[in-house]
Amino acid sequence: MKSIEKLFIGLVLLIGMTNFTQAQINLDITKKVEGGGIPVAIAPFGGGAPEDFAGIIAADLQRTGKIAPQPPQASADYSVAGQASPGGSRGYIVQFQLKDAQGGQLLNLSFDVPANQLRPVAHRISDLIYEKLTGEKGLAGTRIAFVAGGGGAWYLAVADVDGQNPQVILRSGQPIMSPAWSPDGSRLAYVSFEGRRPQIIVQDVYTGARRVASAAPGINGAPSWSPDGQRLAFTLSKDGNPEIYALGLGSQSPVRLTSNGAIDTEPVWLPDGSIVFTSDRGGSPQLYRIGSGGGAAQRLTFEGDYNARPAVSPDGRYIAMMHRRGGRFHIAVLDMQTRQFRVLTPGGTDESPSFAPNGKMIIYSNGQQLKAVSLDGANQQDVVLRGVARDPAWAPYSR
Amino acid sequence: MQCFIRTLMSAAALALLASCASTGENADQTATDVTEQPGVTAQPGQEAYSYAYGQAPGTYDSYDTSGAGGGQARQSWQPGQPGRPGQAMAGGSVVSADRIVYFDFDQADIRPEGQAVIESNARYLASNPRIITQLEGHTDDRGSREYNIALGERRANAVRQVMSAMGVPPQQIRAISYGEERPAAGGQDEQSYALNRRVEIVY
Repeated sequence: MKSIEKLFIGLVLLIGMTNFTQAQINLDITKKVEGGGIPVAIAPFGGGAPEDFAGIIAADLQRTGKIAPQPPQASADYSVAGQASPGGSRGYIVQFQLKDAQGGQLLNLSFDVPANQLRPVAHRISDLIYEKLTGEKGLAGTRIAFVAGGGGAWYLAVADVDGQNPQVILRSGQPIMSPAWSPDGSRLAYVSFEGRRPQIIVQDVYTGARRVASAAPGINGAPSWSPDGQRLAFTLSKDGNPEIYALGLGSQSPVRLTSNGAIDTEPVWLPDGSIVFTSDRGGSPQLYRIGSGGGAAQRLTFEGDYNARPAVSPDGRYIAMMHRRGGRFHIAVLDMQTRQFRVLTPGGTDESPSFAPNGKMIIYSNGQQLKAVSLDGANQQDVVLRGVARDPAWAPYSR
Repeated sequence: MQCFIRTLMSAAALALLASCASTGENADQTATDVTEQPGVTAQPGQEAYSYAYGQAPGTYDSYDTSGAGGGQARQSWQPGQPGRPGQAMAGGSVVSADRIVYFDFDQADIRPEGQAVIESNARYLASNPRIITQLEGHTDDRGSREYNIALGERRANAVRQVMSAMGVPPQQIRAISYGEERPAAGGQDEQSYALNRRVEIVY
């Protein structure tokens, strides 16, 4: 009997794993046991809902790098069990418990949801477990925007952070670049070459409505939102060469913040309103910082021969960037407090880093696919989407 | 009848899009695609369709995100294969070798053979003042995408300067940079990189 039960659970896990292979997330049971992280045994959810709750939750927790999902019969510090069955006022009742090794109940919650919310509820459960066990906010319920395609058909898409549920929100016969989320998560600013000229467009993600923010002669590039969501910084070359500008969203006239014969581009805001950007004023591309109104630029990077495309952590402490040494591009991070500089990825063609809203992970691209790495470099993930995906932007928590 | 209404709506959406794109003002621009149906071809000239999250027609898998061109494949280009000189595609049109100027890595300096290409085109443009040329700057795919937009513009401007010095009036020259977004060759090798670092003289 026991072995039949085991076989059954094995089968369920296998079915779960076929789902994972679709998302290219490998859950190797033996590795999991050996690997680091808090061991949590996860039992298959009964009840017959059309989502593999245990599989989704295990994959979400595995991806954090801090929790090691275990098969249900394993001896673990914590265990998760639950049920998802038809019922309730909206279609399904999902309930779960998180218990410690002594059987003490840490979480016991239920959700009344329609069928299309089953997967989001599974992610919500993952985040609740993660938050309970680590004290940090989880990422399982967050989303990413990215650019897909190329070569004649470009797409702007938004997917769940596990690569599932990708949704096209813009398709174009001309290049799309550099999506950036508004701080409230309702809008994306990006560069579109439709009409065969670059423009900065702000699109409401949930209505599809669009507004041209800038269509100056020359480059309109690299949009970035101010922390209060009231202004955009971007690159224009209308005055002769690429310079950084800031535009109040109610305004028509961008204010120029840099004045230099070199390339100045890729502005991003720090929480204090100052701006970090890429410039080759010193001969090679490096990161510099200016005040909210411009002024003298302070050079921030001195390692390697190429540092560009800065991204700022939500608390402003870290700046991630693409960093070249020995001819290879890596993702690196600069600690603004200690000035410590860390290379996070093995490198190759890594580009376009973007911080998770909890500041613990960085998503980036190798030009073809999306990847994620933890701030200490220990946890490396593939976010596999069909086709080409690049230019990722991790959405904020708010929606 | 329904089809007629659909056409009308499509025309209205197109007009709205066109008016906003041509003025570039901060006007509200609603380009939500209400007309797109499976099997209905997009209007000529309409290049971008936006959708509310979750409202795009078809699943993600129904879109060609392979990077090979979404059905309008560029004949000279196969992923993973280097392209051939003189077969660069600018927005779907072939640009012949005598209108392409190549550059060294991370450089915008004009090489002697590039100088000859620019001069022959500049002579033609100077004697045909009605022809407007678009200089399209490109880079290889190494480095930051936005930095490469700036580098591509620097290359286009270098070509523009030579043309201006040869008497082509400024109003006859437009410049745009596509950075690394429109490669002529798809390979990850020195030959492909060299083919991609270019300015196309389009007219």
